[in-house]
Amino acid sequence: MKILSLLLAVSSIHASAQTTGYLRFIRQTQQPSSPQQSAIVWDMPVDDAGSAPSALALESGGSLFQLWTVEQTKAKDYLLDQKLVGAYLPKADISISTLDPYKHAIRTRVDQPFVVTIAVADLLTGSGLPDSSTKVLLERHIQSYENGKFSLEAAVVAANKPLHSSYISQNGSTVLKFAASSLKATDPTKALGEEHFIVHALADGSVTQSQIASAHLEVWPVASGTILGIKPGEQLLYLIPTLQVNLNDLYPTSDTRLMVYEGSSINGIEGKLVKAFPVDRDHCVTTILEVTELTDQIGVDGTYTIALMSDTVYGTELLCDPITFTVKRTIAVNAMQVNYTDDSEVIVP
Amino acid sequence: MKTALILFVLANSAFATVPILARTTPEALAKLQQDNPMTLLQSPPKGKVLVHRPEDQSIIKQSVILHDGTNWTLVPKGAVIYLPDAMKSRVDAKPEGTLLAWTDFLSRNQSWITTNDISFDQASGTKPLKAERVAFWPKQDKVVIAVHERGPISVRASH
Repeated sequence: MKILSLLLAVSSIHASAQTTGYLRFIRQTQQPSSPQQSAIVWDMPVDDAGSAPSALALESGGSLFQLWTVEQTKAKDYLLDQKLVGAYLPKADISISTLDPYKHAIRTRVDQPFVVTIAVADLLTGSGLPDSSTKVLLERHIQSYENGKFSLEAAVVAANKPLHSSYISQNGSTVLKFAASSLKATDPTKALGEEHFIVHALADGSVTQSQIASAHLEVWPVASGTILGIKPGEQLLYLIPTLQVNLNDLYPTSDTRLMVYEGSSINGIEGKLVKAFPVDRDHCVTTILEVTELTDQIGVDGTYTIALMSDTVYGTELLCDPITFTVKRTIAVNAMQVNYTDDSEVIVP
Repeated sequence: MKTALILFVLANSAFATVPILARTTPEALAKLQQDNPMTLLQSPPKGKVLVHRPEDQSIIKQSVILHDGTNWTLVPKGAVIYLPDAMKSRVDAKPEGTLLAWTDFLSRNQSWITTNDISFDQASGTKPLKAERVAFWPKQDKVVIAVHERGPISVRASH
Protein backbone atom coordinates (compact mmCIF):
# COMPACT_ATOMS: atom_id res chain seq x y z
CA MET A 1 0.00 0.00 0.00
CA LYS A 2 1.46 3.31 -1.04
CA ILE A 3 1.71 5.82 1.76
CA LEU A 4 1.32 9.46 0.92
CA SER A 5 2.30 12.23 3.25
CA LEU A 6 -0.45 14.66 2.55
CA LEU A 7 0.13 18.25 3.46
CA LEU A 8 -3.12 19.96 4.24
CA ALA A 9 -2.82 23.70 4.01
CA VAL A 10 -5.20 24.97 6.61
CA SER A 11 -4.28 28.60 6.04
CA SER A 12 -6.87 28.86 3.28
CA ILE A 13 -9.69 28.29 5.73
CA HIS A 14 -12.80 30.24 4.89
CA ALA A 15 -13.17 33.54 6.73
CA SER A 16 -16.16 32.33 8.75
CA ALA A 17 -14.03 29.56 10.21
CA GLN A 18 -11.68 32.09 11.77
CA THR A 19 -14.41 33.76 13.78
CA THR A 20 -14.41 33.37 17.54
CA GLY A 21 -17.04 30.88 18.63
CA TYR A 22 -16.24 28.31 15.96
CA LEU A 23 -14.14 25.15 16.13
CA ARG A 24 -12.70 23.55 13.06
CA PHE A 25 -12.09 19.91 12.30
CA ILE A 26 -10.20 18.07 9.60
CA ARG A 27 -11.72 14.66 9.17
CA GLN A 28 -10.04 11.99 7.08
CA THR A 29 -12.25 9.19 5.84
CA GLN A 30 -10.56 6.18 4.31
CA GLN A 31 -12.73 5.02 1.47
CA PRO A 32 -13.19 1.25 1.85
CA SER A 33 -11.70 -0.90 -0.86
CA SER A 34 -14.80 -3.09 -0.88
CA PRO A 35 -18.47 -2.29 -0.18
CA GLN A 36 -18.49 -4.83 2.66
CA GLN A 37 -15.98 -2.81 4.67
CA SER A 38 -16.76 0.23 6.76
CA ALA A 39 -14.69 3.37 6.28
CA ILE A 40 -11.99 4.32 8.77
CA VAL A 41 -12.58 7.83 10.09
CA TRP A 42 -9.92 9.90 11.84
CA ASP A 43 -10.07 13.44 13.20
CA MET A 44 -6.71 15.14 12.70
CA PRO A 45 -5.56 17.39 15.54
CA VAL A 46 -5.74 20.86 13.97
CA ASP A 47 -4.32 24.26 14.82
CA ASP A 48 -5.74 27.61 13.73
CA ALA A 49 -3.37 27.79 10.77
CA GLY A 50 -0.54 25.83 9.28
CA SER A 51 -0.06 22.45 7.72
CA ALA A 52 0.32 18.90 8.94
CA PRO A 53 1.01 15.55 7.37
CA SER A 54 -1.71 12.97 7.38
CA ALA A 55 -0.81 10.15 9.75
CA LEU A 56 -2.94 7.57 7.97
CA ALA A 57 -1.91 5.46 5.05
CA LEU A 58 -4.09 5.65 1.96
CA GLU A 59 -6.07 2.63 0.94
CA SER A 60 -6.79 1.86 -2.68
CA GLY A 61 -10.17 3.59 -2.54
CA GLY A 62 -8.53 6.86 -1.57
CA SER A 63 -8.97 9.18 1.38
CA LEU A 64 -11.50 11.96 1.69
CA PHE A 65 -10.26 15.01 3.60
CA GLN A 66 -12.96 17.36 4.84
CA LEU A 67 -12.53 20.73 6.51
CA TRP A 68 -15.42 21.51 8.87
CA THR A 69 -16.25 24.38 11.16
CA VAL A 70 -18.84 24.07 13.93
CA GLU A 71 -20.51 26.82 15.94
CA GLN A 72 -19.62 26.05 19.54
CA THR A 73 -22.91 27.06 21.15
CA LYS A 74 -25.40 26.37 18.36
CA ALA A 75 -24.13 22.99 17.19
CA LYS A 76 -24.40 24.10 13.56
CA ASP A 77 -21.78 22.62 11.25
CA TYR A 78 -20.45 23.85 7.92
CA LEU A 79 -18.42 21.85 5.40
CA LEU A 80 -15.88 24.39 4.11
CA ASP A 81 -13.91 22.25 1.73
CA GLN A 82 -13.13 18.69 0.85
CA LYS A 83 -10.66 16.81 -1.27
CA LEU A 84 -10.33 13.20 -2.33
CA VAL A 85 -6.74 11.90 -2.47
CA GLY A 86 -5.64 8.47 -3.50
CA ALA A 87 -2.59 6.55 -4.64
CA TYR A 88 -4.34 5.65 -7.89
CA LEU A 89 -6.36 8.83 -8.40
CA PRO A 90 -5.36 11.76 -10.60
CA LYS A 91 -4.32 14.83 -8.63
CA ALA A 92 -5.38 18.40 -9.21
CA ASP A 93 -4.87 21.84 -7.78
CA ILE A 94 -6.75 25.03 -8.61
CA SER A 95 -5.54 28.61 -8.20
CA ILE A 96 -7.46 31.78 -9.01
CA SER A 97 -5.89 35.19 -9.55
CA THR A 98 -7.67 38.53 -9.72
CA LEU A 99 -6.66 42.19 -9.85
CA ASP A 100 -7.50 42.60 -6.15
CA PRO A 101 -4.45 41.97 -3.91
CA TYR A 102 -6.63 41.34 -0.81
CA LYS A 103 -4.99 38.53 1.17
CA HIS A 104 -7.77 37.07 3.27
CA ALA A 105 -9.94 35.88 0.39
CA ILE A 106 -9.88 35.72 -3.37
CA ARG A 107 -12.23 38.41 -4.58
CA THR A 108 -13.10 40.40 -7.64
CA ARG A 109 -15.80 42.67 -9.02
CA VAL A 110 -18.42 41.30 -11.36
CA ASP A 111 -17.15 43.29 -14.38
CA GLN A 112 -13.46 42.50 -13.85
CA PRO A 113 -11.31 39.73 -15.35
CA PHE A 114 -9.86 36.77 -13.46
CA VAL A 115 -7.69 33.78 -14.29
CA VAL A 116 -8.22 30.18 -13.19
CA THR A 117 -5.28 27.80 -13.40
CA ILE A 118 -5.86 24.06 -13.01
CA ALA A 119 -2.79 21.89 -12.49
CA VAL A 120 -3.45 18.21 -13.14
CA ALA A 121 -1.11 15.27 -12.57
CA ASP A 122 -1.16 11.46 -12.80
CA LEU A 123 -3.54 11.20 -15.74
CA LEU A 124 -2.68 8.27 -18.00
CA THR A 125 -2.55 8.25 -21.78
CA GLY A 126 -3.19 5.28 -24.03
CA SER A 127 -5.97 3.39 -25.68
CA GLY A 128 -8.39 1.17 -23.83
CA LEU A 129 -7.99 2.95 -20.50
CA PRO A 130 -11.07 3.85 -18.45
CA ASP A 131 -12.15 7.50 -18.45
CA SER A 132 -11.41 7.70 -14.72
CA SER A 133 -7.68 7.38 -15.41
CA THR A 134 -7.45 9.57 -18.55
CA LYS A 135 -9.45 12.68 -17.69
CA VAL A 136 -10.91 14.76 -14.88
CA LEU A 137 -14.03 16.88 -14.88
CA LEU A 138 -13.85 20.64 -14.26
CA GLU A 139 -17.05 22.28 -13.05
CA ARG A 140 -17.89 25.97 -12.78
CA HIS A 141 -20.61 26.77 -10.21
CA ILE A 142 -22.11 30.18 -9.52
CA GLN A 143 -24.38 31.15 -6.63
CA SER A 144 -25.61 34.52 -5.44
CA TYR A 145 -25.49 35.90 -1.91
CA GLU A 146 -29.00 36.39 -0.55
CA ASN A 147 -30.78 37.92 2.42
CA GLY A 148 -27.78 40.01 3.49
CA LYS A 149 -25.53 36.97 3.98
CA PHE A 150 -22.06 37.30 2.50
CA SER A 151 -20.87 33.72 2.62
CA LEU A 152 -21.91 30.40 1.15
CA GLU A 153 -21.38 26.81 2.17
CA ALA A 154 -19.09 25.18 -0.36
CA ALA A 155 -20.96 21.89 -0.11
CA VAL A 156 -24.27 23.60 -0.90
CA VAL A 157 -22.79 25.33 -3.94
CA ALA A 158 -21.17 22.11 -5.14
CA ALA A 159 -24.45 20.22 -4.80
CA ASN A 160 -26.14 22.44 -7.37
CA LYS A 161 -26.08 21.93 -11.11
CA PRO A 162 -22.90 23.48 -12.52
CA LEU A 163 -23.04 26.40 -14.92
CA HIS A 164 -20.55 24.65 -17.15
CA SER A 165 -18.58 21.39 -17.19
CA SER A 166 -15.54 20.42 -19.22
CA TYR A 167 -13.07 17.58 -19.36
CA ILE A 168 -9.36 18.10 -18.83
CA SER A 169 -7.40 15.24 -20.35
CA GLN A 170 -3.83 16.55 -20.18
CA ASN A 171 -1.40 16.67 -17.31
CA GLY A 172 0.06 20.09 -16.55
CA SER A 173 -1.52 23.51 -16.26
CA THR A 174 -4.70 24.59 -17.99
CA VAL A 175 -5.13 28.36 -17.86
CA LEU A 176 -8.61 29.84 -18.30
CA LYS A 177 -8.95 33.62 -18.66
CA PHE A 178 -12.41 34.94 -17.85
CA ALA A 179 -13.31 38.47 -18.95
CA ALA A 180 -15.90 38.85 -16.19
CA SER A 181 -17.96 36.88 -13.71
CA SER A 182 -21.06 35.10 -14.98
CA LEU A 183 -23.13 35.72 -11.86
CA LYS A 184 -26.68 36.70 -12.72
CA ALA A 185 -28.90 39.57 -11.63
CA THR A 186 -31.66 41.67 -13.17
CA ASP A 187 -29.03 44.37 -13.55
CA PRO A 188 -25.89 42.26 -14.11
CA THR A 189 -23.66 44.98 -12.65
CA LYS A 190 -25.43 44.34 -9.33
CA ALA A 191 -24.73 40.61 -9.16
CA LEU A 192 -22.90 39.40 -6.06
CA GLY A 193 -22.02 35.95 -4.83
CA GLU A 194 -19.37 33.36 -5.48
CA GLU A 195 -17.89 31.36 -8.32
CA HIS A 196 -16.67 27.89 -7.39
CA PHE A 197 -14.39 25.79 -9.55
CA ILE A 198 -14.24 22.09 -8.72
CA VAL A 199 -12.25 19.24 -10.20
CA HIS A 200 -13.70 15.77 -9.87
CA ALA A 201 -12.13 12.42 -10.51
CA LEU A 202 -14.55 10.55 -12.75
CA ALA A 203 -16.54 8.10 -10.68
CA ASP A 204 -15.97 4.45 -11.52
CA GLY A 205 -18.14 3.04 -8.75
CA SER A 206 -15.39 2.51 -6.20
CA VAL A 207 -15.49 5.97 -4.60
CA THR A 208 -18.34 7.62 -2.77
CA GLN A 209 -16.90 11.12 -3.24
CA SER A 210 -15.05 12.40 -6.26
CA GLN A 211 -13.94 15.99 -5.58
CA ILE A 212 -10.15 16.20 -5.79
CA ALA A 213 -9.69 19.99 -5.87
CA SER A 214 -11.69 23.16 -5.42
CA ALA A 215 -11.28 26.92 -5.18
CA HIS A 216 -13.67 29.83 -5.14
CA LEU A 217 -13.73 33.57 -5.47
CA GLU A 218 -16.01 36.21 -4.04
CA VAL A 219 -17.72 38.45 -6.58
CA TRP A 220 -18.88 41.93 -5.60
CA PRO A 221 -21.16 44.31 -7.54
CA VAL A 222 -20.30 47.56 -9.27
CA ALA A 223 -20.99 50.47 -6.92
CA SER A 224 -23.58 53.12 -7.76
CA GLY A 225 -24.97 56.20 -6.12
CA THR A 226 -27.42 59.09 -6.27
CA ILE A 227 -27.20 62.72 -5.18
CA LEU A 228 -30.45 64.13 -3.81
CA GLY A 229 -31.26 67.70 -2.81
CA ILE A 230 -30.06 69.42 -5.94
CA LYS A 231 -31.06 69.01 -9.59
CA PRO A 232 -29.16 69.47 -12.85
CA GLY A 233 -29.47 73.09 -14.02
CA GLU A 234 -30.82 74.34 -10.70
CA GLN A 235 -30.12 77.95 -9.75
CA LEU A 236 -29.39 78.51 -6.07
CA LEU A 237 -30.35 82.02 -4.97
CA TYR A 238 -30.12 81.75 -1.20
CA LEU A 239 -28.66 78.91 0.91
CA ILE A 240 -26.61 76.00 -0.41
CA PRO A 241 -28.81 73.01 0.42
CA THR A 242 -28.01 69.99 2.56
CA LEU A 243 -27.60 67.03 0.25
CA GLN A 244 -28.44 63.37 0.68
CA VAL A 245 -25.99 60.98 -0.96
CA ASN A 246 -27.08 57.37 -1.42
CA LEU A 247 -24.14 54.99 -1.76
CA ASN A 248 -24.91 51.49 -3.02
CA ASP A 249 -22.63 48.45 -3.02
CA LEU A 250 -19.36 50.21 -2.33
CA TYR A 251 -16.46 47.82 -3.00
CA PRO A 252 -15.14 46.23 0.22
CA THR A 253 -11.91 48.23 -0.01
CA SER A 254 -12.65 51.63 -1.52
CA ASP A 255 -12.56 55.38 -0.98
CA THR A 256 -15.68 57.19 -2.10
CA ARG A 257 -15.72 60.98 -2.51
CA LEU A 258 -18.19 63.72 -3.29
CA MET A 259 -16.26 66.40 -5.21
CA VAL A 260 -17.19 69.86 -6.42
CA TYR A 261 -15.67 71.52 -9.51
CA GLU A 262 -15.92 75.09 -10.75
CA GLY A 263 -17.55 75.18 -14.18
CA SER A 264 -19.86 72.87 -16.02
CA SER A 265 -17.62 69.83 -16.30
CA ILE A 266 -14.95 67.99 -14.34
CA ASN A 267 -12.47 67.90 -17.20
CA GLY A 268 -9.16 69.58 -16.52
CA ILE A 269 -10.30 71.36 -13.40
CA GLU A 270 -9.03 70.87 -9.91
CA GLY A 271 -11.83 69.70 -7.69
CA LYS A 272 -12.48 70.25 -4.01
CA LEU A 273 -13.36 67.47 -1.61
CA VAL A 274 -16.80 67.86 -0.08
CA LYS A 275 -17.20 64.55 1.74
CA ALA A 276 -15.22 61.32 1.93
CA PHE A 277 -16.39 57.83 2.85
CA PRO A 278 -13.61 55.21 3.11
CA VAL A 279 -14.51 51.51 3.31
CA ASP A 280 -12.29 48.67 4.50
CA ARG A 281 -14.49 45.66 5.13
CA ASP A 282 -14.82 42.07 3.99
CA HIS A 283 -18.05 42.77 2.13
CA CYS A 284 -19.64 45.57 0.11
CA VAL A 285 -21.34 48.47 1.89
CA THR A 286 -24.56 50.41 1.27
CA THR A 287 -25.24 53.57 3.22
CA ILE A 288 -26.80 57.04 3.14
CA LEU A 289 -24.84 60.21 3.90
CA GLU A 290 -26.14 63.65 4.84
CA VAL A 291 -23.87 66.29 3.33
CA THR A 292 -23.86 69.75 4.87
CA GLU A 293 -20.32 70.62 3.79
CA LEU A 294 -21.06 71.76 0.22
CA THR A 295 -21.54 75.36 1.31
CA ASP A 296 -17.98 75.40 2.71
CA GLN A 297 -16.56 74.71 -0.74
CA ILE A 298 -18.66 77.21 -2.69
CA GLY A 299 -16.88 80.57 -2.93
CA VAL A 300 -18.03 83.15 -5.43
CA ASP A 301 -21.21 82.96 -7.40
CA GLY A 302 -20.95 80.97 -10.60
CA THR A 303 -21.46 77.57 -12.16
CA TYR A 304 -20.39 74.42 -10.30
CA THR A 305 -20.47 70.67 -10.86
CA ILE A 306 -20.62 68.02 -8.16
CA ALA A 307 -19.48 64.47 -8.87
CA LEU A 308 -19.67 61.26 -6.83
CA MET A 309 -16.78 58.89 -7.44
CA SER A 310 -15.14 55.85 -5.88
CA ASP A 311 -11.48 54.80 -5.86
CA THR A 312 -10.84 51.05 -5.96
CA VAL A 313 -8.10 48.79 -7.21
CA TYR A 314 -9.92 49.00 -10.56
CA GLY A 315 -9.53 52.80 -10.85
CA THR A 316 -11.54 55.91 -10.08
CA GLU A 317 -15.10 55.65 -11.34
CA LEU A 318 -18.20 57.80 -11.28
CA LEU A 319 -21.11 56.37 -9.31
CA CYS A 320 -23.71 58.52 -11.08
CA ASP A 321 -23.98 61.41 -13.53
CA PRO A 322 -22.36 64.62 -12.25
CA ILE A 323 -24.77 67.50 -11.49
CA THR A 324 -24.14 71.04 -12.74
CA PHE A 325 -25.85 73.95 -10.96
CA THR A 326 -25.54 77.73 -10.64
CA VAL A 327 -25.05 79.85 -7.52
CA LYS A 328 -26.35 83.41 -7.72
CA ARG A 329 -26.64 84.80 -4.20
CA THR A 330 -25.90 88.53 -4.88
CA ILE A 331 -29.14 90.59 -4.80
CA ALA A 332 -29.14 93.74 -6.93
CA VAL A 333 -31.39 96.52 -5.64
CA ASN A 334 -32.35 99.29 -8.01
CA ALA A 335 -33.98 102.31 -6.36
CA MET A 336 -34.19 106.08 -6.50
CA GLN A 337 -34.29 108.50 -3.58
CA VAL A 338 -37.81 109.04 -2.53
CA ASN A 339 -39.07 112.37 -1.16
CA TYR A 340 -42.32 111.75 0.67
CA THR A 341 -42.93 115.49 1.03
CA ASP A 342 -43.75 115.69 -2.62
CA ASP A 343 -46.10 112.90 -3.78
CA SER A 344 -45.63 113.89 -7.38
CA GLU A 345 -41.96 112.72 -7.37
CA VAL A 346 -42.51 109.13 -6.10
CA ILE A 347 -41.25 106.65 -8.64
CA VAL A 348 -41.39 102.98 -8.08
CA PRO A 349 -38.74 101.08 -10.02
CA MET B 1 -23.04 64.79 -19.03
CA LYS B 2 -23.45 61.06 -19.78
CA THR B 3 -21.68 58.30 -17.90
CA ALA B 4 -20.87 56.69 -21.22
CA LEU B 5 -18.08 59.22 -21.57
CA ILE B 6 -14.67 58.58 -20.13
CA LEU B 7 -13.52 61.67 -18.37
CA PHE B 8 -9.92 62.59 -17.86
CA VAL B 9 -9.14 65.18 -15.29
CA LEU B 10 -5.77 66.67 -16.05
CA ALA B 11 -5.28 69.25 -13.33
CA ASN B 12 -2.40 68.99 -10.89
CA SER B 13 -4.20 68.07 -7.67
CA ALA B 14 -4.14 64.53 -6.43
CA PHE B 15 -7.89 64.30 -6.97
CA ALA B 16 -7.74 65.86 -10.41
CA THR B 17 -4.88 63.94 -12.02
CA VAL B 18 -6.47 60.51 -11.75
CA PRO B 19 -8.47 59.48 -14.81
CA ILE B 20 -12.11 59.21 -13.88
CA LEU B 21 -13.77 56.29 -15.57
CA ALA B 22 -17.40 55.83 -16.36
CA ARG B 23 -19.30 53.16 -14.45
CA THR B 24 -19.62 49.85 -16.33
CA THR B 25 -23.00 49.62 -18.02
CA PRO B 26 -25.17 46.47 -17.93
CA GLU B 27 -24.83 46.24 -21.71
CA ALA B 28 -21.02 46.32 -21.62
CA LEU B 29 -20.95 43.69 -18.89
CA ALA B 30 -23.37 41.43 -20.76
CA LYS B 31 -20.99 41.53 -23.70
CA LEU B 32 -18.03 40.54 -21.49
CA GLN B 33 -20.03 37.64 -20.06
CA GLN B 34 -20.50 36.08 -23.49
CA ASP B 35 -16.85 35.01 -23.40
CA ASN B 36 -16.48 31.55 -21.82
CA PRO B 37 -13.02 29.96 -22.09
CA MET B 38 -14.36 26.65 -20.79
CA THR B 39 -16.02 26.08 -24.16
CA LEU B 40 -12.53 25.57 -25.60
CA LEU B 41 -12.22 22.37 -23.58
CA GLN B 42 -13.91 19.05 -24.34
CA SER B 43 -17.52 18.91 -23.18
CA PRO B 44 -18.79 15.82 -21.35
CA PRO B 45 -21.77 13.92 -22.71
CA LYS B 46 -25.06 15.44 -21.56
CA GLY B 47 -27.26 13.80 -18.97
CA LYS B 48 -24.67 11.37 -17.64
CA VAL B 49 -24.07 11.33 -13.88
CA LEU B 50 -20.30 11.63 -13.67
CA VAL B 51 -19.49 12.68 -10.15
CA HIS B 52 -20.49 12.27 -6.54
CA ARG B 53 -21.32 15.49 -4.73
CA PRO B 54 -21.07 16.16 -0.99
CA GLU B 55 -24.80 16.47 -0.29
CA ASP B 56 -26.57 16.55 3.07
CA GLN B 57 -23.47 15.94 5.10
CA SER B 58 -23.02 16.79 8.76
CA ILE B 59 -19.98 16.06 10.88
CA ILE B 60 -22.22 16.17 13.95
CA LYS B 61 -24.60 13.56 12.56
CA GLN B 62 -21.64 11.46 11.43
CA SER B 63 -20.13 11.49 14.94
CA VAL B 64 -20.72 10.28 18.47
CA ILE B 65 -21.34 13.11 20.93
CA LEU B 66 -19.66 12.96 24.35
CA HIS B 67 -21.24 15.18 27.02
CA ASP B 68 -20.11 16.09 30.55
CA GLY B 69 -23.26 17.97 31.56
CA THR B 70 -21.93 21.35 30.45
CA ASN B 71 -19.72 20.83 27.42
CA TRP B 72 -19.63 18.40 24.56
CA THR B 73 -17.28 17.14 21.89
CA LEU B 74 -17.49 14.84 18.92
CA VAL B 75 -15.55 11.76 17.87
CA PRO B 76 -16.00 9.55 14.79
CA LYS B 77 -18.56 6.81 15.00
CA GLY B 78 -16.69 3.65 15.94
CA ALA B 79 -14.14 5.50 18.09
CA VAL B 80 -15.87 4.54 21.35
CA ILE B 81 -14.38 1.08 21.87
CA TYR B 82 -15.50 0.50 25.43
CA LEU B 83 -18.59 1.92 27.14
CA PRO B 84 -19.39 0.98 30.76
CA ASP B 85 -23.08 0.92 31.65
CA ALA B 86 -22.59 3.71 34.18
CA MET B 87 -21.38 6.07 31.45
CA LYS B 88 -24.01 5.42 28.81
CA SER B 89 -25.84 8.67 29.52
CA ARG B 90 -22.70 10.64 28.60
CA VAL B 91 -22.22 9.02 25.21
CA ASP B 92 -24.32 9.57 22.09
CA ALA B 93 -25.87 12.54 23.85
CA LYS B 94 -27.46 15.67 22.37
CA PRO B 95 -25.00 18.43 21.35
CA GLU B 96 -26.18 20.95 23.97
CA GLY B 97 -23.98 23.46 25.78
CA THR B 98 -20.57 24.44 24.45
CA LEU B 99 -18.54 22.46 21.96
CA LEU B 100 -14.93 21.86 23.02
CA ALA B 101 -12.06 20.51 20.97
CA TRP B 102 -11.40 16.86 21.62
CA THR B 103 -8.12 17.48 23.47
CA ASP B 104 -9.69 20.15 25.72
CA PHE B 105 -12.69 17.94 26.50
CA LEU B 106 -10.42 14.99 27.30
CA SER B 107 -8.24 16.99 29.69
CA ARG B 108 -11.33 18.18 31.61
CA ASN B 109 -12.91 14.73 31.80
CA GLN B 110 -10.08 12.33 32.50
CA SER B 111 -12.04 11.02 35.48
CA TRP B 112 -14.37 9.15 33.14
CA ILE B 113 -12.63 9.09 29.71
CA THR B 114 -9.41 7.36 28.73
CA THR B 115 -7.77 6.68 25.39
CA ASN B 116 -6.21 3.71 23.69
CA ASP B 117 -3.59 4.32 21.01
CA ILE B 118 -4.51 2.46 17.85
CA SER B 119 -2.36 1.80 14.80
CA PHE B 120 -3.83 2.12 11.33
CA ASP B 121 -3.65 -1.64 10.89
CA GLN B 122 -5.59 -2.13 14.12
CA ALA B 123 -8.18 0.43 13.03
CA SER B 124 -8.57 -1.28 9.67
CA GLY B 125 -8.89 -4.68 11.26
CA THR B 126 -5.79 -6.26 9.80
CA LYS B 127 -4.20 -6.50 13.25
CA PRO B 128 -6.01 -7.26 16.52
CA LEU B 129 -6.03 -4.97 19.53
CA LYS B 130 -3.80 -6.11 22.36
CA ALA B 131 -5.78 -8.60 24.47
CA GLU B 132 -4.34 -7.40 27.78
CA ARG B 133 -5.46 -3.85 27.05
CA VAL B 134 -8.95 -4.98 26.15
CA ALA B 135 -9.12 -7.07 29.31
CA PHE B 136 -8.11 -4.05 31.42
CA TRP B 137 -10.87 -1.70 30.21
CA PRO B 138 -13.70 -3.09 32.42
CA LYS B 139 -11.52 -2.65 35.51
CA GLN B 140 -11.28 1.13 35.30
CA ASP B 141 -14.95 1.91 34.57
CA LYS B 142 -14.13 4.58 32.02
CA VAL B 143 -15.22 5.28 28.46
CA VAL B 144 -12.38 4.21 26.14
CA ILE B 145 -11.78 6.19 22.95
CA ALA B 146 -9.53 4.88 20.20
CA VAL B 147 -6.96 7.49 19.15
CA HIS B 148 -4.26 7.67 16.50
CA GLU B 149 -1.62 10.40 16.71
CA ARG B 150 -3.76 12.16 19.39
CA GLY B 151 -6.83 12.23 17.12
CA PRO B 152 -9.89 10.01 17.72
CA ILE B 153 -10.27 7.26 15.15
CA SER B 154 -12.93 4.72 14.29
CA VAL B 155 -12.17 1.05 14.59
CA ARG B 156 -13.71 -1.37 12.14
CA ALA B 157 -16.49 -3.52 13.56
CA SER B 158 -14.55 -6.74 13.03
CA HIS B 159 -13.07 -6.16 16.49
